[in-house]
Amino acid sequence: MHTNEMTAADHGKSTVTERRRELARDYAAGLQHYLSQRDDEPALARALELGRKALTDGLGVLEMATIHSQAIVATLDGRLTDDAKSWLLDGLERFFVQALAPFEMAHRGFWEANVILHRLNDVLEGQAKRIAFALHDEAAQLLAAVHLALADIARKLPPERAQELQSTRALLDQIEQRLRNLAHELRPPILDDLGLVPALEFLAESVSKRSGLRVTVEPSIERPLPAIVETTLYRITQEALNNVAKHAKATHAAIVVQQHPDRIVCSIRDDGIGRKRTPAAGTRTRGLGLVEIQERAAALGGQLRLSGAETSGTDVTIEIPLER
Amino acid sequence: MATTPNLEERLAYLNHRRESGMTSNDSHARVRIQSAADIMAARQRGRAVASQGGFCNSDLTIITTAIYEVARNIVEHAVEGEITIALINDAHKRGVEIVASDRGPGIGDLSLVMRDGYSTGNGLGIGLPGAKRLMDEFEIASELGKGTTVKMKKWAT
Repeated sequence: MHTNEMTAADHGKSTVTERRRELARDYAAGLQHYLSQRDDEPALARALELGRKALTDGLGVLEMATIHSQAIVATLDGRLTDDAKSWLLDGLERFFVQALAPFEMAHRGFWEANVILHRLNDVLEGQAKRIAFALHDEAAQLLAAVHLALADIARKLPPERAQELQSTRALLDQIEQRLRNLAHELRPPILDDLGLVPALEFLAESVSKRSGLRVTVEPSIERPLPAIVETTLYRITQEALNNVAKHAKATHAAIVVQQHPDRIVCSIRDDGIGRKRTPAAGTRTRGLGLVEIQERAAALGGQLRLSGAETSGTDVTIEIPLER
Repeated sequence: MATTPNLEERLAYLNHRRESGMTSNDSHARVRIQSAADIMAARQRGRAVASQGGFCNSDLTIITTAIYEVARNIVEHAVEGEITIALINDAHKRGVEIVASDRGPGIGDLSLVMRDGYSTGNGLGIGLPGAKRLMDEFEIASELGKGTTVKMKKWAT
């Protein structure tokens, strides 16, 4: 137990150079092991794991190629003369690594674009919030003032003329409703008022009341989520629950939200008739259903998974990566 | 052990090196850039200087790649220019500074040339934007009709 804690602390402190060295050691050992076994699937899976670790640790293509070159030469230790080894190392470490340099540039470009995309998402979400507030609160206040002014005018008019103002008031009410819907579309105010989990519980309750479907929420969220992720999870759950209520002929639906260090996973499961017997998403006129869910998740680098038997119960799972 | 793929090319290159007025010592080099052969010379001088600066092999690859990209940019878009490579120090670190300047037509919109795929590579991130990503610091200045200067630095880790 103690040693585990020490390792974790050391890992936190260790510099990029130390992590790189450690990875180089593991890589050389992994390669050595693989070459002595051949066709050993676990050893190949180990290579994949090392590659994943290197990528998440921020190692580039060139560093990987260098690590590989050195590991190759190390496996030939004792079988080659020193001259032959340095000749081989030169070919690998210089020629091969140089040939990969354009890929390194492209790889770095990808990282850069990814960071910009995340920032852009935050900016868009902030804008949506501001516009939603302007529509919902500020415009509503102005409309209330117009209502009062109309009531004032109505009082000064003979009753039969005052009646004519009634239709204008009805129009104002319509505008107010439209603005509220628009604001809600941009950013559900309940997310800012209550937070994601209470908002999901509220959603579950209202779907229950409306459709008779029993909906439970099982959240496990330890850290606050980026605003855009909250909005997306809320919308996706809303869309999925609507699908269940409308088409699945289910009695129970469960919303399960689980936060992991690097991602958030949200599942909406039901005990209904299954996908096969549910009308196809494309044939419906209102609500884009799964297509919309997929697109919302993809905008954050996430993905949608459908599982469950084809003829009973459906499980819609969305996974969205989180920055550590 | 290594074989020379093309003897003529090699001789032309050696001749060129002698004639092109390349100057250098261990911590500094200056290379005139007019042709493809000069790109090779700049890379070679850059590698020689940088290897005095405590860079590892993959950093040397990064530095010579960035030199290649800025040199290629001169050959493609300006008539001639020069590249200087120098070891530099600040309070805590050692590094190398590469300055590429040309007397070409200059660039009207710098943000445009730094956009991926504007001049090369279909948006894959090579060319000048690629050089920028490889180096730790990168500045580009240009004046229409006068020329362009790229200054970039890499710090040894």
